[in-house]
Amino acid sequence: MSDSHDKNRAAHGVPPGEDTRRDFIKTVGIGGIGLGLGAVAGGPAIAFVAYPIFNATVSGSGGFVKVGKSDSFKAGTPVKVDLFADKRDAWNRIVKVKVGSAWVLREGDKLTAYSSVCPHLGCAVDFDTDDTKFKCPCHHSVFDLTGKVEGGPAPRAMDVLELEEKDGAVSVRYQRFRQGIADKETV
Amino acid sequence: MKALIDWLDERAGLRKLMDEALNEPIPGGARLRYVFGSVLMFLFMQQVVLGILLASYYSPSATDAWASTEYLNDQVTAGWFLRGLHHHGSSAMVVVTALHFLQTVIAGAYRRPRELNWLTGMAMGGLVLGFALTGYLLPWDQKGYWATQVATGIMGSVPGGEPLRVLLQGGTEYGNLTLTRFYALHVFVLPIGLAALLGIHLTLFRKHGVTPPMLPPEELERKTQRFFPSQLLWDIIAMAITSAVLVLLTFSTHGADLYAPAQPASNFVARPEWYFLTLFQLLKYFEGPLQLIATVIIPGAVTTFLVLLPWIDRAGSRKVGERMPVLVGVALLMSGVVTLTSLAMVEDANNQKFQKSLAAAHVEADRARELAKIGVLPTGGDAVFDNDPQVGARKLFKESCENCHTLGGSGGEEAPNLTDYKSREWLSGVIRNPHDKRFFGGTKTHKEMEPYPASALPDDKLKAVVEYLTSLIGPEAGQVDAALVDKGKKLFADDLDCNTCHEVKPGETGDGPNLSGDGSKAWIIRVLHDSAAEDLFGKSAGMPKFGKKLTDEEMKQLSELIAAQRGAKGT
Repeated sequence: MSDSHDKNRAAHGVPPGEDTRRDFIKTVGIGGIGLGLGAVAGGPAIAFVAYPIFNATVSGSGGFVKVGKSDSFKAGTPVKVDLFADKRDAWNRIVKVKVGSAWVLREGDKLTAYSSVCPHLGCAVDFDTDDTKFKCPCHHSVFDLTGKVEGGPAPRAMDVLELEEKDGAVSVRYQRFRQGIADKETV
Repeated sequence: MKALIDWLDERAGLRKLMDEALNEPIPGGARLRYVFGSVLMFLFMQQVVLGILLASYYSPSATDAWASTEYLNDQVTAGWFLRGLHHHGSSAMVVVTALHFLQTVIAGAYRRPRELNWLTGMAMGGLVLGFALTGYLLPWDQKGYWATQVATGIMGSVPGGEPLRVLLQGGTEYGNLTLTRFYALHVFVLPIGLAALLGIHLTLFRKHGVTPPMLPPEELERKTQRFFPSQLLWDIIAMAITSAVLVLLTFSTHGADLYAPAQPASNFVARPEWYFLTLFQLLKYFEGPLQLIATVIIPGAVTTFLVLLPWIDRAGSRKVGERMPVLVGVALLMSGVVTLTSLAMVEDANNQKFQKSLAAAHVEADRARELAKIGVLPTGGDAVFDNDPQVGARKLFKESCENCHTLGGSGGEEAPNLTDYKSREWLSGVIRNPHDKRFFGGTKTHKEMEPYPASALPDDKLKAVVEYLTSLIGPEAGQVDAALVDKGKKLFADDLDCNTCHEVKPGETGDGPNLSGDGSKAWIIRVLHDSAAEDLFGKSAGMPKFGKKLTDEEMKQLSELIAAQRGAKGT
């Protein structure tokens, strides 16, 4: 190395033991290995954190739940029933917990179950016996006896749950639906 | 880009910061031996990131800790890998801390004016061990639970240590507060403490620079390089090697161990993590009041020696030759650590009893983790065993049957012992001596059947009769020897006249129980319902009717448990 070269380097604050021509290669090496080191835990970390997007972490049984005898539901007045099911909550298995409730209404021979979850933002819908309407206490959505919206912000009718009658016993399949949209979509 | 850097530089002094961070001159040039501190920083940062990830699934409570660890480890994508990295990462930190320590000692880098670097380093070394100790308990599995019991037990046995122990574990016994406290220490107190010390350590390091090789100043000057990129390249290569080792280790062990959930009523052969084996082994040599020597005096003396090293070392220069006493002292210390650790490992490897219980612990762990797949009842990690129908049935048995019947060692003797029930061995026994306590001897009413001693029924004939009785159980009996069955059938009907009391056609009644299907699950369920049925034990039945006390499902579970007894000895 010539003297003039060394002087030039010193003028740029480069220490004498440094070879500026190799700096670039070293920097590339550092960047490359650094990225690799980040990827070792980074890739798995994304999959780990995103697990709940692709897998159910909280779930009820999804099956039919017995709610009572057929003759306990009289025409005209909806009856609120609690729905019990086995629940999964991440690592826990919980036996027979209340997963939700439903309004069961008789019209002649036909029984209909409405989810008590308001399709607007998920509050619990009440039944007003005075003017025989379903009313949501949170944002004042009003539904008629067939579940149709009569007022308020609810984007769709009350969600009908599947109902089954067998040997005088009534069962309802409890499901949750996406809130705040016009279409009924299961979550 | 330049505009952005200018903007930041004007406001944050970016260029000066970068210059300080990257352009530190290293007299004598970059060297591989300077990498340990950087590798430790890398490991610490990786542990922090992994710890945060694990914390996004882990729940620090006595009822949830094991189940949530099992969930994140066995069910969540890549969980085993990240937890494995975190687990082995702590071992790596201990190893690299030891290397950093040795490098500092050999180079004499602890000497004036770097005493504060040394002290902060020693303190951080202590915190690294604190991380290991607190983290070990968090999964709340058998190993962590029992190993940590030993550690806190030692704490309590030290004079004045009992209140500290209660404070640390949040009560006189382990529970929810033990976990929340260890968790708070592990994820808040220790990391903040370590980060603060690291800040001081690094600032001091930058002030004094590396401890260069013992070369003439001109040569050091001539070879000077900057931290970036020359030293950083070495550092990052060392990090890559460390990371590769960690990944290999994690894959080869398929992550970290997770034993069965902590069962405070069980006993478990506790072993600490390998880097605590020195202390573990030391404990074996000091008993009773002398225990203090192993728990406090020796570790305390060693720590004092290390902390005071900069002042103990009176040598005129940091030349290796002049510092022999100090270097020999440290070398003896290290060989002591290696020796005790090896002794502990060798003893365990040769300890048949330990190896056996370790193998059993692994079997139990596998079973618990398999059962946890369908979720664990919220009553606690231990509840995972309730997922096993056999476990549920055993519980039922304990509640409803054990007053009179024995199964697997515990229970009453007023009714037949159901251990190995209706196995060939059991059947032979009942024919030879029905009035033994193991069979009907403890009952009040079943006295009619005559014993068949060897004089009346030689062993070979007994074997045939037993084979025939086994065949009567039905398809559940499994393989039977058809020739023996035929022989037994003839003996049963002709020579021995068993059929005067015992019918073998379904539904027919006699003085003794009808033996068709006797011992099958359906038969056991019938007995549970009503053992006094005419074709079962009739009027002499002493057993309560369980048809109304137990549900169909419960009786089914019990019948499976009892019927499984037949196969318990592989008959």
